[in-house]
Amino acid sequence: MPHVEVLPNSASVSAPGWTYVVDNGYDPSKVAINPKDRKRAAARPGGARGENELSARQQTAIARRIAELERDNDPKQSIPVPGKGSVPKTQNARRIIQYQRQIKHWLDDEIAQLQQAPPPLPRSAIRAANQQLRKASTLTGVPPMSSEVTPGPLSSGLATPALPLRAEPTSEIDSLLSIERSMPPPLKSAELASLLSAPPLSYVASHVAPPAVGGPPQRQFCDNCGYWGKIKCLKCGARICGLECKDAHEATRCLKWA
Amino acid sequence: MPPKISKKATAAAPVKTLVLDNGAYTLKAGLVAPSGTPSYDDCRVLPNCIARSVRDKCMYTSSELYQCKDFGELAFRRPVEKGFIVNWEAEKAIWEHELLSETAGEGLRCDPKDTNLLLMEKPNCPKELQKNCDEIVFEQFEFSAYYRCVGPTLNAYHPSIPSSLSSLPRECLLIIDTSYSDTTILPIYSGQLIQSAVRRLTVGGKLLTNYLKELASLRHYNMMEETYLLNEIKEAVSFVAPSTQQFSKDLERTWKGRLGDKRTVDSSIVLDYVLPDYEGAIHGYARPHDPLQSRVRRGIQPLQGPREDVLPLGNERFAVPELIFRPTDIGIQEKGLPDAIMDSLSVLPEALKLTMLSNIVVVGGNSLIVGFVERLESELRSLVPTEYLLNVSRADDPIKHSWLGAARFASQPDLMKQVLVQKAEYDERGSTWLAKRFSGGDK
Ligand SMILES: [Zn+2]
Ligand SMILES: [Zn+2]
Repeated sequence: MPHVEVLPNSASVSAPGWTYVVDNGYDPSKVAINPKDRKRAAARPGGARGENELSARQQTAIARRIAELERDNDPKQSIPVPGKGSVPKTQNARRIIQYQRQIKHWLDDEIAQLQQAPPPLPRSAIRAANQQLRKASTLTGVPPMSSEVTPGPLSSGLATPALPLRAEPTSEIDSLLSIERSMPPPLKSAELASLLSAPPLSYVASHVAPPAVGGPPQRQFCDNCGYWGKIKCLKCGARICGLECKDAHEATRCLKWA
Repeated sequence: MPPKISKKATAAAPVKTLVLDNGAYTLKAGLVAPSGTPSYDDCRVLPNCIARSVRDKCMYTSSELYQCKDFGELAFRRPVEKGFIVNWEAEKAIWEHELLSETAGEGLRCDPKDTNLLLMEKPNCPKELQKNCDEIVFEQFEFSAYYRCVGPTLNAYHPSIPSSLSSLPRECLLIIDTSYSDTTILPIYSGQLIQSAVRRLTVGGKLLTNYLKELASLRHYNMMEETYLLNEIKEAVSFVAPSTQQFSKDLERTWKGRLGDKRTVDSSIVLDYVLPDYEGAIHGYARPHDPLQSRVRRGIQPLQGPREDVLPLGNERFAVPELIFRPTDIGIQEKGLPDAIMDSLSVLPEALKLTMLSNIVVVGGNSLIVGFVERLESELRSLVPTEYLLNVSRADDPIKHSWLGAARFASQPDLMKQVLVQKAEYDERGSTWLAKRFSGGDK
């Protein structure tokens, strides 16, 4: 049964002694990608690079693994607070001290609240927001601020806090293009004032955008030894460097995160 | 109305400020007197956790960990998640243990009733958590007065010229805070954070340690319960490759080859980490790789001399910290740090962007990884117009630097007067008003 495929890779080295089997069973264009799902969006490589497209199952697997790497506290461990501290002094303090929620609950609450009550925006900001979103979506195909619990393609509360400053949405692009220009225009005080008075972004909105299309392609590593991953495991989609690591991969991690 | 005598006593002793950088991994804490000249030495670094040994059930609260002799299978409870105080039951126990009771370290113990609190938080903290925090500070701890703000912002109060006594903040400062929870980019203008330009990368020290733990467990021994040790190993052996080209070269040098194409790994880059046994040694150490050792482990070679467990580290040394520069290496769909900085600055007018680029200061524990600042600077150089001045520096003590900025701010009574909120004021006006006040909405 063919279990390996060769993938185009600039670092590819010809490998004597064994043969790659080309995989024809996977067509990225047939994989439905749901841009509303942040977990999947998070696991999705930027741009339309065919060989990097992932199946929904792989995306879930990657998202799960990242969540594991990001975790602050192990839910399996319940460590009691030693000794006797001061007693809560008010009912309110008692309530807060007794919360056993994790950060994800608070962040989900924040997202839900922003969806319920989008902050009011000046009209120019809405215009800027729309331009910004159009720009973002042509670049990545995915609204960068969408979140996992967002049902719509765009959650108003998430992207907006940044935007009141974008009164001149094109100036940034201009300046990026004209790098020969030696001296930038002086700072306008109104512009500065509006920058300084802008409210904080929500937690989700503060995250860095996915890599731009046209940048260096995502690097792929051997799931077992960390060398370049030029071969793809057809069971789980992980990359491996050669047959030796493929055996080790199948014995340990294959399908672990699926 | 308090009796006259206590009023006099308060007037005699100037109110000190507890400056507290409440990180997920460590608290940075120190008491600062008005008009004093604080230094790094005034800052204590305390683990922000409660730990329990799975083996002997011993418990350690915060600084008690410094007395721990066996870090094997130590489990941690951390009140701060993603940089924000989430669990007040544990945080209260740690504050009480380290700052308020007789177990507090020398020079740290204070009575909140006659102490100000300057609490440093991460940017983009959910409002509900800020509210909980404010309420606990006044209702449970009853601090005399309080100010909460985005901690790294106060780096603007480091004098730009060392001898300068000016209390004015730096005009432009771009702080890169690469810490345990994540990596944040904070453009600061005249001591004020430009909120819309704040950017956050998921990758921080915690993720790097967990990633190394995962790799070591997959490739060598199951070390999934050895977070403390893997963090120690990460700190001892990691380096950031100077460029992506060098990264590729190092990856070749550390590759074992494949069937039919076996290679010898380059011993000048592969290290062996001698694991502590927690009997003779509490800490491990790294030494150059000895290929014989790994054969011993596999039972090919007979064992001679005392038994030791060795963890070989090849590409893990540089592939782990590489995630800050290439989060996509493990599928995190975010730009790397240099591109993220350019993203953040793209929000700013060009004149401001230009000045920010010549005033970049890196703080946070990950900046201690060998090669970090050099790689950041060289990648940024390739993204910034050639005629722009680029200046990236690492704080002398990147772990305590934000604390010291805050301490310098706290030592200036005229600055503190503008921002502190008295307990009586809180009692009268409540936490919703307080939140508005701290966010600059109500002066
Ligand atoms: Zn391999
Ligand atoms: Zn597999």
